[in-house]
Amino acid sequence: MGADENAFAALIQDYVAECLPPAEAVADAFVALERKWEAGDPAEEILGQLKGTLHTIKGNSAMMGLTPIQALAHALEDLHGLLTRVPDLRIQAAPLLVEGGGLLVQMVRGAASGLATAEAVDPYLEEVRRFQADSAQPTSNRSESGPSLEEVDRRRAERRASDRSGGEAMDTVRVEARRLDALLEIFGETMIAHSALAEVRQRLIAEVRGAPALEDLDRSVVQLEKSLRHLERALMETRLFPIASVFGRFGRLLRDVAHSEGKRVRLETAGGETRLDKTIIDRLGEPLIHLVTNAVIHGIEPAAERERQGKPAEACVTLSAAPRSDRVIVTVHDDGRGLDPDRILAKARALGMTVTPTSAEEIFSLAFLSGLSTAERVSSLSGRGVGLDVVANAIRALGGSVAVASTAGQGTTFTLTLPLTVVVVRALIVTVGGERYAVPLHDVAETIRIVPESIHEIDGRSMLLWRGELIPVSDAAALVGRGNSGETARRYCVVVQSSAKRHGLLVDRLLGRQDIVAKPLDPSLGRPPIVSGATILGDGRVACILDTARLAEPLLFAAALGAKTVTAGGLA
Amino acid sequence: MPRPGAFLVVDDSKLHHQMYNLIFTRGSLIGSTVHHAFNGREGYSLFVTHPELTMVFLDLNMPEMNGLEFLERRRAEQLHPQIPIVMVTTEGSADDEARGRAAGAWDYLRKPFTPPDVERLVEHALARAAAPS
Repeated sequence: MGADENAFAALIQDYVAECLPPAEAVADAFVALERKWEAGDPAEEILGQLKGTLHTIKGNSAMMGLTPIQALAHALEDLHGLLTRVPDLRIQAAPLLVEGGGLLVQMVRGAASGLATAEAVDPYLEEVRRFQADSAQPTSNRSESGPSLEEVDRRRAERRASDRSGGEAMDTVRVEARRLDALLEIFGETMIAHSALAEVRQRLIAEVRGAPALEDLDRSVVQLEKSLRHLERALMETRLFPIASVFGRFGRLLRDVAHSEGKRVRLETAGGETRLDKTIIDRLGEPLIHLVTNAVIHGIEPAAERERQGKPAEACVTLSAAPRSDRVIVTVHDDGRGLDPDRILAKARALGMTVTPTSAEEIFSLAFLSGLSTAERVSSLSGRGVGLDVVANAIRALGGSVAVASTAGQGTTFTLTLPLTVVVVRALIVTVGGERYAVPLHDVAETIRIVPESIHEIDGRSMLLWRGELIPVSDAAALVGRGNSGETARRYCVVVQSSAKRHGLLVDRLLGRQDIVAKPLDPSLGRPPIVSGATILGDGRVACILDTARLAEPLLFAAALGAKTVTAGGLA
Repeated sequence: MPRPGAFLVVDDSKLHHQMYNLIFTRGSLIGSTVHHAFNGREGYSLFVTHPELTMVFLDLNMPEMNGLEFLERRRAEQLHPQIPIVMVTTEGSADDEARGRAAGAWDYLRKPFTPPDVERLVEHALARAAAPS
């Protein structure tokens, strides 16, 4: 974090306001240059105007201590100088310029949020260095015939490959984020229209069996579905950003919090290149801020205490990310004192929790209950003391889940499991009491046909013997607040799992798999805790999405149900 | 130690004006008066009417009279020769610095600079003014 000790850090918004327009002008000019050069126009006048602008951006960034942007502007100045002197290199270098312009805009725009990190510009700087080194060598093919087309293609391909592996997707087109959001919205509508079409097809098949036109319709619907899937993948690809842009903010934050707490803490990050949907990246910052702040304030011991325990005086908070199949795992680890299970349990009991946890892990999961983790001591940075329930809710709203593990004296690890994308949720559609619900397929281990005798009452809990294991089951109707009647009539059990825990969800019917587009619910609707959102099905009806991952945290869920008045009816 | 004074900042960047404000409203320079001009012409008018200035901070690249033109006009008019004018430059502009010195600049301040850099310059200027010439 370059701005750490900078005297002018308070002016960061003014910096962005002043430098963003020239940065955008530079980016636009680079795009124009590429076009003109390819058309054979040297466009010297555009080139000439850029020198001063780049120099100003560089100077201002240096003043603000934004070293990565300073370095980037410097590299672009160098490249600009080289191309002014050696026109032969221009066409070959144009994509590199365009990429740099886009990066410059992104860095300046993100400077206030701490996104302008060395990690974000280094791959590009390396590319520029490579280009300069290559162009300094008198290679025979260039001096004979200018840049060969193969060379240009190779560079483009290399650049794309490096975009995928590390740097943010920066190609020759800059698109405003809101346009991508609009595309997503339209895609969602298209998906719903497709579901409607598929539904009509089903009805037609039942009503007018054997009509030749029906076969054509069938083919078209299948083709449409295939195209939509490609579109989804392409759309998703445009929305993926490295999580480094979020991690980048924490150096400064951690330092400030540690200072105010009088503690010594360093930040380590890993897996910053892991990519996630932009929406998730945007909304991940806040919960992570809470976790990191909490770690420093509550998790990490004062240096003296650490030394007494033989731990290094300087504590460490580690942020890491890694992809795991279609999910991304983000962890926040501190090497502090760990959670105190006795205290959590005492607090949970004080809040009226009656269930008895059987393992430390279950006790720790109680920390996510509302009101339980609120800071006892209000420091200037923790504000009102944000509870872990806020963190958990934010992560769930993204379709993810959060778990905590802790070892006394050794530290605490929060593990966030996030979907890669928010575009589409693969779901199992079920009916309960005549209403439809969507269960994310990711959580579904198995669906089984049951008879009333399959369910056993043990210690006042309904259990099901599944693959030699007794798992708790809940009637879906009760969870969504539609009363507990007719549990014995439910004919199917959806076994959901999260980490190593399983839970059965009793439903009436399974309607099949469907790709749904999740819509957030208005918080004023007072939804039951099990409902995470809603979607529109093919027939135009609204279905609530069940946050089944929560079922696998039985204590938490039981307590949450007990603590809140469950509103009946779900979505109106 | 530096003390508060009266300063003229001539720079076309709003951001830089705010930076100077930060510098002149804290530490030993707290209580200083700062006059702001956003181009050379505006700056020169202020320079004419403020003979009490402790120091002028002059950017080089500006619309409507750049820093060098400012310096040349001031030398030609022999206006307030006692007021030290500091050119604000960036790395890689040694030639501008040389031209500015030749045109009567007292010293230069290279970006990126910090508040202590400015405080030191002010201190030098005050020490020079106090010394018998």
